[in-house]
This record gives sequence, structure tokens and C-alpha cells, in this order.
Amino acid sequence: MRLPLAIASFVVLIVHGVVFYEQFFHRWERHQTAYFEQARSMAQNPAEKAALEARSPQIEQVIVTNFGDTRVDRCTTCHLAADDPRFANMGSPLKTHSYSAAMGDVFRNGHWERRHKFSDFGCTVCHDGQGRGLDNFHSHGEDEFWPDPLLGYVTQTTWRKDFAPHLKGEEYMEANCAQCHTQEDFAGTPTVNRGRKLFYGMNCYGCHKIDGMSEGTLGPDLTEAGKKFKVDYLWESVVEPRANLATSFMPKFNLPEADVRALVIFLKSRRGVNFAETSLDRYKAHVANVAVVIPPGTANEKAGEQLLNDRACTACHKLHDKDGGIAPDLTYEGMIRDNEWLTDHFKNPRSRIPDSIMPSFRFPVEDFDRLSTYLASLKTPPPAMPPAETYKTLCERCHGEKGDGNGKVAWYIDPSPRDFTKEGFMNSKPRARFVESIKSGVPGTSMPPWGRILGAEQIDGTLAYVLQKFTKEPGKEPKPRNVPDKNPVATSAASITHGEQLFLQRCTGCHGRKADGKGPNSLDILPHPRNLRNTAFVDTTTDRRFFESILYGVQGTAMPAWIDYGFSRNDVGDILNFIRSINVQKPRSQQYASK
Amino acid sequence: MSIQTPEKSAAPAGVWSALKELPSNVWSSVFRNPVPSTDLERASTSFTNFFLHIHPVKVNRNTLRPGYTLGLGLISLFLFFILVATGILLMFYYVPSTSQAYDRMLDLRGTVAFGIFLRNMHRWSAHGMVAMVFLHMCRVFLTGSYKKPREFNWVIGVLLLLVTLFLSFTGYLLPWDQLAFWAITVGTSIAGYAPLIGKQMQFVLLGDTTVGQEALLRFYVLHVAVLPAVLVTLVGIHFWRIRKDGGLSRPEEAPKLKAAPVVVKTRIYGLQGFVRGPFTKVGNTPEDSVFSWPNLLMAELFVFVLTVSLILVVSLMFNAPLEQPVNVMHPPNPAKAPWYFLGLQEMVSYSAFWGGIGIPGIMVALLLVVPYIDRGTQGVGRWFARERLLANTLFLTLVTLNIIFIIIGTFFRGPNWSFVSPF
Amino acid sequence: MAVAGKKEDNNLPRRRMLAWLSSVGLFGSAVLAAVSDLVFFKPRVTYSPSARFSIGKPDDFPPGTRISRDVDRVCIVREGNRVAAISTTCTHLGCIVSIADTGFSCPCHGSRYDQDGTVTGGPAPKPLPWFKVTLAPNGEIEVDKNTTIEPGTYFTV
Repeated sequence: MRLPLAIASFVVLIVHGVVFYEQFFHRWERHQTAYFEQARSMAQNPAEKAALEARSPQIEQVIVTNFGDTRVDRCTTCHLAADDPRFANMGSPLKTHSYSAAMGDVFRNGHWERRHKFSDFGCTVCHDGQGRGLDNFHSHGEDEFWPDPLLGYVTQTTWRKDFAPHLKGEEYMEANCAQCHTQEDFAGTPTVNRGRKLFYGMNCYGCHKIDGMSEGTLGPDLTEAGKKFKVDYLWESVVEPRANLATSFMPKFNLPEADVRALVIFLKSRRGVNFAETSLDRYKAHVANVAVVIPPGTANEKAGEQLLNDRACTACHKLHDKDGGIAPDLTYEGMIRDNEWLTDHFKNPRSRIPDSIMPSFRFPVEDFDRLSTYLASLKTPPPAMPPAETYKTLCERCHGEKGDGNGKVAWYIDPSPRDFTKEGFMNSKPRARFVESIKSGVPGTSMPPWGRILGAEQIDGTLAYVLQKFTKEPGKEPKPRNVPDKNPVATSAASITHGEQLFLQRCTGCHGRKADGKGPNSLDILPHPRNLRNTAFVDTTTDRRFFESILYGVQGTAMPAWIDYGFSRNDVGDILNFIRSINVQKPRSQQYASK
Repeated sequence: MSIQTPEKSAAPAGVWSALKELPSNVWSSVFRNPVPSTDLERASTSFTNFFLHIHPVKVNRNTLRPGYTLGLGLISLFLFFILVATGILLMFYYVPSTSQAYDRMLDLRGTVAFGIFLRNMHRWSAHGMVAMVFLHMCRVFLTGSYKKPREFNWVIGVLLLLVTLFLSFTGYLLPWDQLAFWAITVGTSIAGYAPLIGKQMQFVLLGDTTVGQEALLRFYVLHVAVLPAVLVTLVGIHFWRIRKDGGLSRPEEAPKLKAAPVVVKTRIYGLQGFVRGPFTKVGNTPEDSVFSWPNLLMAELFVFVLTVSLILVVSLMFNAPLEQPVNVMHPPNPAKAPWYFLGLQEMVSYSAFWGGIGIPGIMVALLLVVPYIDRGTQGVGRWFARERLLANTLFLTLVTLNIIFIIIGTFFRGPNWSFVSPF
Repeated sequence: MAVAGKKEDNNLPRRRMLAWLSSVGLFGSAVLAAVSDLVFFKPRVTYSPSARFSIGKPDDFPPGTRISRDVDRVCIVREGNRVAAISTTCTHLGCIVSIADTGFSCPCHGSRYDQDGTVTGGPAPKPLPWFKVTLAPNGEIEVDKNTTIEPGTYFTV
């Protein structure tokens, strides 16, 4: 045992020695020693030389408390020559930090004077990075767990390779300049300014809130986007909105690289704080920004127009020359909707269109009135056009240029716009129904009553155009089915109960247990199963149509013919009673009783 | 000891009887000896119980005389137990951060259940322990109990005294109020007066050039972990040494017993009868000694109850101080060290080096070396033995001087350390 | 494996050698560990403001200047082309002294100093130290509170 013990003792001694050695002779000490030697050779008098001889490497740090949390910046431990003008031409890390007039530095009496002194600012406030680190990997922020890598210089290994080349560049540092220099036209932050203009110009502000700038509620709050996320995440979120959230309805903008860069730098500058303001300043700005100031005495209509612009309605809707690409065109709103409809819709969009995604904005009541009044004033009809043009102007936005129900805003509308290419459906319905849909609209859906704009001839012409161009095989008028016009089964508690039973047994897979069309199968079906709680729709749909749809199915959709599954007329009658029973319309006065 | 009866083939009956006997089986597996009623059983408590094996089987009568030891060592030990218990409880609510410590003290005082009471107990036990270990040292000296073979135990004792003082000093800073901050500022600046290494030592102790977050953290670690561990280790050695030195010191036996052979008439149980070596067994004849169980145990319990009661009463009646939060710009005038260092501070006001480093250093050195200088063997085991007049007088003089300085520093010094009248 | 007992005489030198090696190894490791602990305890950085800092360009301090920088606890004096940095931490108990006509005066316990920091009254035990003043490469004056110099030594800019 003695020999192994002796060997082990020696090994442990050597290991101790290695451990001991590791804690000395760091790389930063070598940098510092190199600086001392170089400075000694540049020394101008023996006192200076002697002082440098006496200096030994030590950790240099700046403790900065002026900018939020305490920062400890040890960058000058390696970058010891950062404030020594004589090292301007040396290699990194012993290179003088650059001076420039753009950063406020002044050239006076033959040398530069730094505006942003390191003793006041430290380094990481401007550059990001990890101030407390003392080796390259950590201090530059290459460590994937460090949230603030050196802005514009460092990419982390977990970042997407295709984005990495875009994420370097000095202009990324403007994001940090903007923490203090928040003015819109500040000369030192041109990229941030460009990004800010894009934020407004591309209607980002309509969905996204940034404290002091906008009030959008549809998308995430971006007030602290720069603080929470690294630049690669911001880049990805702009160019591939659905990369991190599959159900996001943020449009994919396909912007040029320079624009994306500007937006990313702008977003990175949103850190939720402006170090140049006091909290009292911020509060005042917030209050000022939220309130839309309407000069007293402004007519409702004018006020409504101002509100529409200030509230960024065109972030989703189309009006005049602005188009958010998410919601219907408001150009003819005054003709197709009346004031009462508009006001109800404003207060709660789902009161008129149950599956609308338009948020319920919490505006004061006067604002609703003003907006409604303004929209109701949009009564300029479109010029007379051939059917193809009519389709393009009025129908294409929802129904798509191929008539397949894939219009620009189709994704955001529920129920989806009708797919005209489905011959099965188109050929199973009488033409009269289509004419009626166009003329009077489909209550409870986004299909408005175009009859208020189009005359009968225009409607017929457009319908013919649709059938010929999209349905391709417009068929013969179908034979009317043998179904009663009115429900033969009287409404009674027993009937409703039986109808509910049957509904729960058979219909919930698609129509959902709550009969709102959100059953488990509904996600895979287009068109979606009907929302049977859409009272406006249900009330205006005839018993006959219900019988037809249930007993004989709806061709071109997933609704089967339940007569094949043993439903009798009485069964259907009971189900219809049940459906109607859950759609008892409350009087209008009661609808808003809680307001 | 229960002898197991062979199990019958009917298993359920065996299990049932095992269950019935479970309580007594459990008990007897833990306590393998009955409550003693014979001498044999009394003796065996010392080596069948983990906690009681710290006791010898028998102790000399003199050891149990209250007038001899005054129980000072035991009181110190029990105060330490109270300090550990209350200290650990306080640790659940205290945070050693300059921004949080004071607020936590306020919470302990205001909202924590029994918080104010636990803190009081901790504070008064701390002061009590410093005083008691000092008095214990006086007792040991004045009874000549540091002489051979107890020299090294005395050295351990002096080290324990220093550790106790340092424990109290490190704990003093933790409330982070004006009292704490400036007392420690004064105390640590005394450390800086040491020649050559003084400033370095102060830097390492404080973790910085001035008292701040680093000092608070270092003092906290020393106070709750390092020093208690050192103290417990030294106390363990201290007690081990007492056993190996043959128990506490006692006067030489009366002549008649000296002539008696060490052969004993009744059997003595325990290792002492078998081991040879440099252990004094003089005076441990049966007439002089009594069983530890129950005599020593009862005496210890009595001292324990007395100590706890006293601390409880004092904690009920007096609140530990908590002054204003630390204000680095505002030293109080005068800024006083904790009371046990006030003697030092008084001396420092005359001479920084001699008062702070020189004289205390010499005193500690003298204490450490006294058993090796004073080699006389007379006068052990008695208070104020005539034969030790010189040693006792010197000792008492220095002690009295120290106390006088402490009194002056406490009551007679005011702003700018000028003389004031306390009346 | 060598077993103690038989053949002791033959193996004794070898045993001694091995024992010596083992003790060197173990003792050396213990020494290294102990020294590492001491190195550990001495902090390499502290979280207080740096002791060496710049106060500005020489032009910021025209001749005749005598101003106190409370945050840094130093008084900058310039006479002609000579600059000095005098500590404003009272040597009694650490308060910040104020500038008075006659020099410095401490509001806490009444210490008095003359223009050069020498004690003229009060409980202060030592004069106010003077700190080393140098010119940094970027042209700014640097004060180093870690280095004290002889009172009366000025730095020429």
C-alpha cells in the first residue's frame, strides 16, 4: 500500500499545483502587461516610466448606478487603452475607443474630449455584453444564457444561421443610444428613426402597443421588446410571424432587408425606460398619448374621422388609401350598414357577428357615436362597372380573386367566405337564394346587403359572372326537396328535450357541445360547421332550409344527409325546435342592460 | 432484555403477539437499560447512553460543590446552547444584506411570532456568555486549576475565550443599525493599528476598505458557520480533556486518605479501574466520589433550569436595542465599541498601538503562557489559596484594571471621548 | 502489497523513502490548499467606487481653485500651475469636513485643520492625507486615493 499511497500523494500535489496555477496568470493580465510595456516605451519622462514600472495587473472596473440596476463593467480590464489616445492605431483589445462628433465628442486644443465618459456611463449601457465577465466568451456575451450579447458584434450559437449575417453591424448600437436620446428626429439614431416611421407606416401600431406611442391590443405589447428579446428573435418575429406562434394572424410583410433591420433596431431600442426622463415625465407623456384630443364643438362626423385615424382602424380595415389587410373594406360602409348596426357593432362586434375577431374597444360612448356617424356618412357609391370589375371591387377582398373563398381577409372571417368553386354546393342551391344573399346579405356573418349599392341587374350580372368564371360547371337548377316549409312539430318542452338529446348524440362532433360550431372536428373542415348560436343567422333562416340541410346534407361541405342515418322528420323537427330555443333573441333593450 | 420465544407454526398468532408487544419492544430497543436502581445500572448509564457518555461513572464530591465552581462553565455552555437554538431560529428571518438587514430586524421585532422575544434571548445570552466565560476563567485561575496536568486545557480555554469574543463581535454587526455599524467600525480600525500587516488584515476581515456589504457578509458567515464550528470543536476537546485529566480539579486529600491504598473495597465499574497511565486518580476513592447518575445530572439540570429561567425573565423585561438605520455620513459622538471591548477603546485613546494591539496582545500571551511559567504544584483546588498569593494578586489586579477601564469607557466618557459625569 | 512484519530490515529504506514521498505530497498539498484559502479571502475587487478616478481637465480648475468633491471625498487645490488633492475625510471618525476660511472644519466633532490639512484643534489625531495626483494619457487629472504623498507635494500641470 505504501507505493500507491506515495504515488497518489504526489499526484494530488501536482493537481493542487495546477489548480493553484489556474487562478493566476489570466489572459487579461497578459493584455495589461503588454499595455504597460507599450506605454513605457511611449513615456515622456522618467516619473511616468517609473509609475508604469510600479504598476502590476489588477482588475479594473466601473460601477454604474445611474441607469437602472447597478452595473459593474470590467471591460477596461482587457481594454485598458480605451481612454489612451496614443493607442488609436493599435490592435484590439488595446485600441483606443473611437471618438466621433456624432457621439458628441469634441476636438479641442489638439485632442479629443469624450462626451460619454466611461466613468459615468461604463460600457454595457451602450454596447450591451456582460460587464462582470473577465474572459472573452462571457464578457462579449457569446454564452447563450446571457440575454444581452454585444450589440452588433456577437451572434450566439443558438441563433438561426440564416439570420446571423444580418445581425451584425454598428448601427445596432443605435438601439441603446435611443434609451436616452428618444427624440424622433435625433441625428445620432437614423436607423431607429427609420424603424419608427416603419412602425407607423406599416400599421404595426394598430395591433401592437408601445407605451407612449400606440394602444393596439391585438398583438403582444412591445413596450419592452428590446429588453426581453435578443435581436435574432426580433428579426424572426418580423420576417416569419408564425415561427413562434402557429396561430398568430400577424401578416407576413416581405420587407426588404434594410427595412427589417431598421424595424429590428427600433424594436431593440424599446426597453421600457427612457433614462433621460423622470417617472413624472413618463406619466405625463403616457396620459397625453392615450387621450385623443377632440376640439370642442367638432361635429360628430369630423370627430369620427379623427378618431378613426387616431385609433388606427386602418391597421385592419381598408379605407381610402390605407389598408390593414385583415378586415373588411369600409369604403361603402355608410351605404350597406345603418347607424344602429354600426353602433351596436362598435360596442360589441360579436353582437352582430358572433365569431368576429374585432376587439371590443373600451372607448367612451360618445366616441362610438362619432365613429358610427362618420362611417354612416360614407355614402359615395362606386361607379357603374362591368360585373368583373364589380366583383373585383366588392367581392374579391373576401371571396378571393379565384373565387375560392381565399380572399385577402378570408383567414380572419368566420364564417369563411363561400368557396364558389365547389360545384357540389353551388349546384345544389336555387339561384334565388344566391340572389337573396347578395341583395340582403347574410345576417350574423360578414356578408353585407350589397343590394343597397347594387341594382337588381348588377346583382344578376355579378352572380352570372361568378357562376361562369368560378363554378365552371354551373348546373341546372336543382329540384326542390320534399321538405316542409314550416316545422310540423310544435314547440314544446318535450320536443326541445328530445331535440337536445339527438343533438348531443349526433351533432356535437362538428357543431360542438355548445352548438357554436367549435366541435372537435371543426378545425379540419372547410367551410367550418355552422355556429348554431348565431341568432341573427338562425332567426333569418327558414325552417325549410334547416330541414333541407339536416335531412339531405349540404353538398360541397361536410354536413351529411342525416336521412341516411335514420333521422325522421319528427326528429329533425325536434332538433329544429331545440336550435331555435337556444336562439331566443333578447329584446335590444335587454341586450345592453348591463352597460 | 427480552428473549424471543420460538414462534409457533401458526403465523397469525405470532404476528398478533408481536404487535401487542410492539410498544415495549420499541422502547427497550432504544433504551436498553432500565432506569437505574442499582449501582451497576447507575454506572452503566455512562456507557450505554450516547449523551450521557460524556459523564464519568463517578465524580468527586468537590466537583458538585456549588461554592467551588459556581457552575460558571456549565452556565457558559448552556448559554451557548440557547444562543445556537435562538440563533438558528433567527436565521429563518434574517438576511445579511445592507439593504435588507435592518428591515428584517424590524420585522423580527414587529411581526414575527416570538421574534422580539427570541432576539432578546439571543442578545442577552450573548452578553451573558461573554461575562460568564470571563468569570469562569477567573474561577479556574483563582483555584489554580490550570496547573499540571491541565495546562493544555487552560490554553484551549483561552482560545475559547477569544472565539467567544469574536463570535459576539461578529454578531454585533448584523442588525446593521448605527450602534452596530459604528461599534464595528471602531473595533476593526483597532485591528488596523497592527504593525506591517494591520491594514492587510483589516482588508481581509472587512472584504473592503470600509465596513459595508462585504463586511456584513463575512461577519455573518463567521458568526453562523465558521466560529460556531470552531467553538464546538474546541468545546469538545475541552470536555475530553476534563475527562482525561481526571475530572475537575480538587484540593489534595486529607492525610488519612492519602495513606489508604488505591485498592477499593467495592467494585468500581468503568474504565478507570483498568487503565494505567498519566491520569490522576488521586482522591477518587469511594468515599470522595458519587455516581454521576443522578447526582451530576441533577446538578447540571439545575444549573440549566436556572440559566434558562434567568434568560427568560431578562428577555421578558428588557428589549435588545435597535437604533437608527446605518448612516455612513453620521458617526455618533462618541462611537463606542461593544462593552467587552470598551476597555480596549479606553486604552486606545491613550495610545493606538499599545492600547489596541500591544497591551491586549501581551495580556493574551501572558494568559496562554501562565501554566508553563507557574509550575508550582501547591494550592490547587482551593479558592484564594495562600500559596498562590502572588499569582492571584497579579491576576486580580489585571482583571480589576480591565473592569475599571470598561467602567470608565462605559459611563465616564462622552462626546469626543472627553470625561463626563454619569450622575 | 508489502505487509509490515516480516523482512522489515530489508525493506526499511524503501519504506522510509515512500513514507517521505507521501508526506511531501500530502503536506505540500495541505500547504498549497492553505495558501489558496488565504488568497481566496483577499478580495480582488470591491464594490465601492474606484480609488483611482479622474476629476477633469486642468482647464476645469483655474488657478486659485479650492473646491470640494463630496462624492469622492477629496478637495482639489490649484495654485498657479500646481495641483493637489487633499482628503476631506476627517481622521477622527470619518465625517466629511467642510472648507472654511482658515482651512477645513469638521461639523461632527469639531476638529479643525489649516489650509494644508494640519490639525489645529479638536479631537482629530492625524492630519488630512494628501493623495497622489497624475496626468492620465487622455489629458485628464487623475487622483489616486490608494497612494498618499507627503503633504505639501504638488503636481505640476
